[in-house]
Amino acid sequence: MKQRNRTTTSIVAGSATALLLAGCFSGNVSDEAADIQVSRDLTDEDITLTLTYIDEPPTEALIEGFEEEHPNISIDTTQIPFTDYIKSIQRSMDSSSAPDIVQFNPGAMRSLIPAGLVRDLTPYQEEYGWDDTFPPSMLEAFRTSEDAKQFNTGNLYATPGALSVLGVFYNKDLLDEAGISSPPETIDAFEEALSDLDAHDIQPFIVGGLEIGGFQLWNALADSLSDVEEYKDWVYGADDASIETEGALQAATYIESWVEEGYISQGASSVSDSDALAAFSDGEAAFFVTGNWNAHALSQSLGDSVGFFPMPGESPDSPHVASGSSVAFSISASSDHPNEAAAFLDYLATPEAAQIQVDVGFMPVDTEADIDADGLTTEVVDGFALINEGAGIVPFADYATPGMFDELVSGVQGIITETATPEDFLDQLQSEWDSYHG
Amino acid sequence: MASTPVPVRGRGSKRPFRAPTKALLYILPAAVVYGFFAVWSGLTTVYLSFFEWDGLQTPGFVGLANYLNVFSDPKLYGSIVHALVLIIFFSMIPVMLGLILTALLMGRVRKGMTFFRTVFFLPQVLPLVAVGITWRWMFAENGLVNQFLNGIGLGAITRAWLGDHSLALIALGIIGTWCMTGLCMVLFLSGAQKIDPALYEAATIDGAGAVRRFFSITIPGLRGEVTVATVITTIAALASFDLVYVTTDGGPANQTTVPGLLVYRLAFNQNDIGNASAIAVVLTILVIIIVSLIRALFKEET
Repeated sequence: MKQRNRTTTSIVAGSATALLLAGCFSGNVSDEAADIQVSRDLTDEDITLTLTYIDEPPTEALIEGFEEEHPNISIDTTQIPFTDYIKSIQRSMDSSSAPDIVQFNPGAMRSLIPAGLVRDLTPYQEEYGWDDTFPPSMLEAFRTSEDAKQFNTGNLYATPGALSVLGVFYNKDLLDEAGISSPPETIDAFEEALSDLDAHDIQPFIVGGLEIGGFQLWNALADSLSDVEEYKDWVYGADDASIETEGALQAATYIESWVEEGYISQGASSVSDSDALAAFSDGEAAFFVTGNWNAHALSQSLGDSVGFFPMPGESPDSPHVASGSSVAFSISASSDHPNEAAAFLDYLATPEAAQIQVDVGFMPVDTEADIDADGLTTEVVDGFALINEGAGIVPFADYATPGMFDELVSGVQGIITETATPEDFLDQLQSEWDSYHG
Repeated sequence: MASTPVPVRGRGSKRPFRAPTKALLYILPAAVVYGFFAVWSGLTTVYLSFFEWDGLQTPGFVGLANYLNVFSDPKLYGSIVHALVLIIFFSMIPVMLGLILTALLMGRVRKGMTFFRTVFFLPQVLPLVAVGITWRWMFAENGLVNQFLNGIGLGAITRAWLGDHSLALIALGIIGTWCMTGLCMVLFLSGAQKIDPALYEAATIDGAGAVRRFFSITIPGLRGEVTVATVITTIAALASFDLVYVTTDGGPANQTTVPGLLVYRLAFNQNDIGNASAIAVVLTILVIIIVSLIRALFKEET
């Protein structure tokens, strides 16, 4: 009875939301702000910008840093939980009191950009020279066509304010026990390490297949084994792109054989990400593929015994590449202070901001800045620098279409439960891709 | 009884003509809330199910295309099949277990009766999200269920139950059974109290044993409660969402998706309001059909 009521309520609430949204069918673009000259000269008057975001950290710390440099500009913030963000931001951007700056979210932007509610930042990109201050691979995900279906093409709509990166965390004590002296530098050495660990009765992997852990393992492997340009074409939605490539297949085949060998548990599909984190923290497995967002928790629980390396490729010289995401910011088309908002976006690539980004647990935008850090953080930041010197950061595979996330999670579960082949998995991803982009 | 005259009220008094307006006025606040949040939003859902809409841009009319999707996409109709399977675990088994527990607990006053009633009803009081997470841990590879199986020498069949391709739906169903049995039992126990004890006495004198009394007196006497329990639990099975969301999230490989979960995913993850509405409408119609069938089945033959 309880359950029924609650479910009905959520459906009703959903319909009610739909109802409220029904009032905003038309994307009424405000032209008032259009006559403000694009400039690096900022106002001397005291002004207040509004900013709506999901992720804290890093947002508040970055704003604090910016306000210190610009005492006459203050930024008022509204934080919205991730699960409510898309619908909330869609409504507020279409209202007369739209925030000046909003955190970029691909799901929301797919409707907001075509509706003309997000400012094209190309003039600021030229004015500030963002092509030089931001690493080029970091801006790709925020360039998009006018229908916002294809990315890495067209105009710029956001700049990143802090980054996350996917890689391999390892338990140094367990590797020592198996006689492995240094983290593997090639995928073959990685597989050898797995077999050595298994021979010493150490569980090689912990994978949180219930949520994002499973697809992130595949994603990390696919990044390192695929042709980067082919992967980018696919994830950004370029015409006729395909994920049915040799590298992506190889990545899925590795997972299949690691499950067969027992390196990955067949029951991984019911392990949540937090369960996986807890198990790795307790020293139950040697490797854990996840992002820097878990680094703080891991260095708390494992201290000096935890290390980090980017997923290796075919050879030690293969350029490093890894999936990552950014906390990025866009400016609303109706903002009265686009120049000042753009100054905030520019600030994100400064060395001062870089230190703040690392301090609050993220990867820096300015990868060349001298960062003051210790322990595991240094290892992760070094790994991130390697990736940026290599082929750079690419989006997670769920960036490809709005429905891709569910296909990735359920598809990898198919491989883990040995009910789907690597070919089936890629075919499933591609049909989702085709139904959106085709 | 004394013969004090009782003042007659209602009939014959001056008030009945004003009553309808007044009654409507009392109903109004609740009716407005219900009308807006249930009826109006329900109708909007039906309306939106004929459109392709991302929640922001101008919706495009697509006729019945969303409904064709529901019946042609194996992921969508698969979720309806799963919900039907869950009826066995959420409804049929709990009603049977509830009747058995009633037979064991009713009538005789034993030590600790309240304790048993409380324990069996407890799942109804706990938030389902907590229930789901706890069961997820119990079903995990090193969880309580497998420890128990190892302990009794069944180590060979242990597995991550909710991560098993063919058994995850059944494992999920067992959680549902655990939740719903107590509800059925409490309904039946309260119903059993209104059965005339004289019937049991007469049956005992006629030589009927406990089993016979249960089938001939208790079960017919509980017809109304059984109908209510079946309807409530069946709706819980068809409209399940929270339990599935926290235990398997539809996995592994879409083996435990239910319509409620897909409505949520389509509407809020994928901005596909049209298809989400179509599934919601199909689910509602399905609930109405199945509930009508149950009511017809249990109808008293008079």
